[in-house]
Amino acid sequence: MSTRRSALSALVSAAVLAAPLALAGCTAGSTAMVAGGPSTLAVGFTAEPQNFDFTTTDGAAIPQALLYNVYETLVKIDSDGEITEGLAESWDVSDDRTVYDFHLRDNATFSNGEPFTASDVKFSIEQVKQDWTISLKSGMDVVDRVEVVGEHHARVVLSRPSNSWLRSMTTRIGAMFTPDGVADLANDPVGTGPYDVESRRRGDSVVLTRNPEYSRPDDPRPEPDYGTVVLKYYADATALNNALLSGGIDVISGVTAPDSVPQFEADNRFRVLQGTTNGEVVLAYNNRRAPLDDVRVRKALTYAIDRKALLQAAWGGRGKLIGSMVPPTDPWFEDLSREYPYDPERARSLLREAGHESLRLNLRIANLPYAVSSAQVIASHLKKVGVTVDIEPLDFPAVWLQQVFTDGDYDMSIVQHVEPQDITTFGDPEFYWGYDSPRVQRLLSEADTAPPREYISDMREVARTLSDDAAANWLFLFPNIVVAKNEVRGLQANQVSESFDLTGLRRQGSS
Amino acid sequence: MRGNLVVGGTLVGLVVVTALVSFVWTPLDPQAVDASVRLLGPTSDHLLGTDKFGRDVFSQLMVGAQTTLYVGIVAVGLAAAVGVPLGVLAAMGPRWLGELVMRTSDLVLAFPALLLAIMLAAVYGASTLTAMIAIGVATVPAFARVARAGTMQVLSREYTLAARAGGRSRWWIAWRHVLPNISGMVVVQSSVSFAMAVLAEAALSFLGFGTAPPTPSWGRMLQESQELLAVDVRLALVPGLAIAAVVLGFNLLGDGLRDRFDPRLEARR
Amino acid sequence: MTAAERVAAGAGPAAAIARRLVILVASVFVASVVVFAFMAVLPGDPAQVALGVNATPELVEQTRQQFGLDRPLVTQYLDWMGGLLTGDFGTSYVTKEPIGPQLVDRLGVTLWLVGAGMLVAVLIAVPLGIVAAVRHRKPSGVGVSAAAQLGVAVPAFLAAIILVQVFSVQLGWLPSGGWTPPAYDLGAWLKGLILPAVSLGLVQGAVLTRYVRSAVLDVQREDFLRTARAKGLRPYPALVRHGLRNAAVPVVTVLGVQLATLLVGAVVIERVFVLPGLGSMLLDSVAARDLLSVQSIVLVLVVGVLLVNFLVDVLYTVLDPRLRRS
Repeated sequence: MSTRRSALSALVSAAVLAAPLALAGCTAGSTAMVAGGPSTLAVGFTAEPQNFDFTTTDGAAIPQALLYNVYETLVKIDSDGEITEGLAESWDVSDDRTVYDFHLRDNATFSNGEPFTASDVKFSIEQVKQDWTISLKSGMDVVDRVEVVGEHHARVVLSRPSNSWLRSMTTRIGAMFTPDGVADLANDPVGTGPYDVESRRRGDSVVLTRNPEYSRPDDPRPEPDYGTVVLKYYADATALNNALLSGGIDVISGVTAPDSVPQFEADNRFRVLQGTTNGEVVLAYNNRRAPLDDVRVRKALTYAIDRKALLQAAWGGRGKLIGSMVPPTDPWFEDLSREYPYDPERARSLLREAGHESLRLNLRIANLPYAVSSAQVIASHLKKVGVTVDIEPLDFPAVWLQQVFTDGDYDMSIVQHVEPQDITTFGDPEFYWGYDSPRVQRLLSEADTAPPREYISDMREVARTLSDDAAANWLFLFPNIVVAKNEVRGLQANQVSESFDLTGLRRQGSS
Repeated sequence: MRGNLVVGGTLVGLVVVTALVSFVWTPLDPQAVDASVRLLGPTSDHLLGTDKFGRDVFSQLMVGAQTTLYVGIVAVGLAAAVGVPLGVLAAMGPRWLGELVMRTSDLVLAFPALLLAIMLAAVYGASTLTAMIAIGVATVPAFARVARAGTMQVLSREYTLAARAGGRSRWWIAWRHVLPNISGMVVVQSSVSFAMAVLAEAALSFLGFGTAPPTPSWGRMLQESQELLAVDVRLALVPGLAIAAVVLGFNLLGDGLRDRFDPRLEARR
Repeated sequence: MTAAERVAAGAGPAAAIARRLVILVASVFVASVVVFAFMAVLPGDPAQVALGVNATPELVEQTRQQFGLDRPLVTQYLDWMGGLLTGDFGTSYVTKEPIGPQLVDRLGVTLWLVGAGMLVAVLIAVPLGIVAAVRHRKPSGVGVSAAAQLGVAVPAFLAAIILVQVFSVQLGWLPSGGWTPPAYDLGAWLKGLILPAVSLGLVQGAVLTRYVRSAVLDVQREDFLRTARAKGLRPYPALVRHGLRNAAVPVVTVLGVQLATLLVGAVVIERVFVLPGLGSMLLDSVAARDLLSVQSIVLVLVVGVLLVNFLVDVLYTVLDPRLRRS
């Protein structure tokens, strides 16, 4: 390349560059941004919603931003896992537990000005059954029909008793829509909640402002304290931490770099709340494939991994050992974390018994921090009992879904299961666990229709059976770590719902 | 300046020796996790302390040198093995072939190498090898261009013209005159590309498309140390300095070799 | 291709430009096929990713149809290209929004970053390079050269991490990340741009310093400069008055070449500083298997670089007197 030609090259580059620059100056500015100030709160997250339509797009990010804040549900779940009132002030259940009568509040209004009535309940539930595409919609299968009894009285009739239905109504599938507000769900959500989506900058933030139609004079909190909430999205945990430390945000919704927490605890500008989530970090064993179809091998591996040390090394000791697929906020929780104490000797003898003095297994994990960290500890622990582990981080979700989840091509995998009551996945022999236990399947199918007390004991039985079979290895329960500036109050330690609930937040000093 | 060659050679030599020693000996198992000794500062047991898994940082650093060299050798080897013959062909072959090679190399240069790395990581799983192949492919045009320019220069020399007039075949000329004469330039390019490959692997590991755990890699050590910056800067400094040292070493070596092979440039220093 | 080759190849500027145009179109076509083929073999089903775990196979199939992924690859490709030719980039599977405007918005951020990074690089490299050249036998000159060598060896993201720790976290002077559009708040935009631009520019500046140094060294040996010095001008004034313009040519050359490097470096810097640029859009789109977006982003990048090459060639053909004569 001659110098002259290249000198020209640089000039032309500059000219070509300048054109879109001028263009970008205009378009970028067209997105409204909101000024900071005492009534503005900035909350940092790591997973950005790609659109606002959770009826057809799966993932935790959309409900995290919108549920309870923009969309409300008839019933909510509180931080202890109890079902409480939402848009329904009260509800009655018939003796055969198939008819639910919801008495709706009469002062709820959608952000487009439409009042919230029983016909919206009918519309929303029927929408789930007809138009939704995400798999969670199956939670609504049990609904036979919805009747509009009065303007503020909706009746839902189930085809059979269901212990899980009301609880699932606290999730996104229970969100209430208005027929006039579903034209552009992906971009323009219309709900009854205290906030409305004001604007978004993709790759950066979503701005929520007070829903002008929201007024609940008889509530303890007639309107939200923060007029504007900016949801800021960061690609990784370190960027999120830095944003709080440098004053870019007021709250970290969930710290995923646990070893950085001590610096916040030591800093009197911040408060740290630590609680539980629904997220079980699971080391999946491929129950369908040799040698892990042999219960002795699965048990051996479970004995060989020191979960306490794992939690310490991989996640800074933050989190909770659980021992089965049940978070402590589920009513049937039982502490099974001591069922397989660390015992490499026993692991070796079980392996010997199963005829595997030495073993080579692949560990196909989601390429996410918790999985990558846990995998390295597991590989080190299993090496001590003669098991060689090949760690293969897979692009998550795409490749992991394809290879591990759909094709079942793996020996072991690590992923966090965040859905509420996902213990039921062990009742599906086709699920990627490959776990086929008629007993568990029977218990699970009976449990949902059983009287409430039997329900609890059945579910407990399922959890125990899974542990006895070493169907998987529940490494730990993902901790919920919220860090906030001191003046932000009303945050919840436990993350039990699908929502990052902004409705209770208030500034210290304000009423 | 001779200094470049000496300093560069020493740094590179140090890395090579470290890598070789680590094949047979490291102070401790670099992959052995021990939660009870995590995040220790330097002690007599752990010369550079331990990381968040309680692994010995010094041992990891040693084995990481292997990864770094592996990175450079595969990427540069691939790029040179493909790029040099293509460049020579482009200069000596028919005009359309030369044109095709150069236009293709323009296209490769315009193509984001990162995408290739992501692709390969998606298909074969993220590993040192996939990262290296992506970097290698992206480096092919550099070698093709150097080889083509060098070949053209050689072809215009009198001895080549004489050989041609004497009825020698193209391939004889390529073998006898072109390759030996451009080898110096190729070596210089290799040294510079080596440095770039090491930086690229670090960047890919940082983004999660590089070396897979638990194989120690300086890029991944750096990435893992990120969340601990406020707790202990040492964990970022150790791999960061190691990367900087090896890149510096190869760059200086490249400069020094260039001075050797290109006397015209030597005069200016 | 050298000018001489071009003279041999074509009959005149028009023919040469036509030839370049054919090559450009052919290159873009090849690039589009390659990108499309990449996406076709990329593992991970976009429909499955959108639906997540627990999706029934029927639902996945239905969504695939909705996305148009069940059609033959050739149809999909022609559809995509047909849209592009009419300026329609299609609608993203994931965001459900048109891709075009999004692309323009993101490209703007990346270009600001690259432009500012380039500026930082020049601001560093020109003075330092001159000092290093003029004082190349003195300790200060050698020191600058050594510092430049060290600067080249530092990964840009490491520089970024360190800068954030010092200037955002410790001192609290500048934001650690995020992007404010200039039209909204010029001050905030500038503050947010400083650290990313410096991270990107530092390393490039170190690279450039070495080139400025050697260019200035070359110029210093030229006769006119020796004459000026002999007339009693001190080194810097002599250089400023007579030499800089001549030294600028090779330096600008390197700047042009560095542009491509900067675009790639920008991806990593965008990641560290959470800037909504083209690089982060590429990474997000690949992760979400938003294939249409990925195809379009890559094609825009490739075409951009090829277009710059093409325009340079055209201008050169027009301006080169030797070509005009033939």
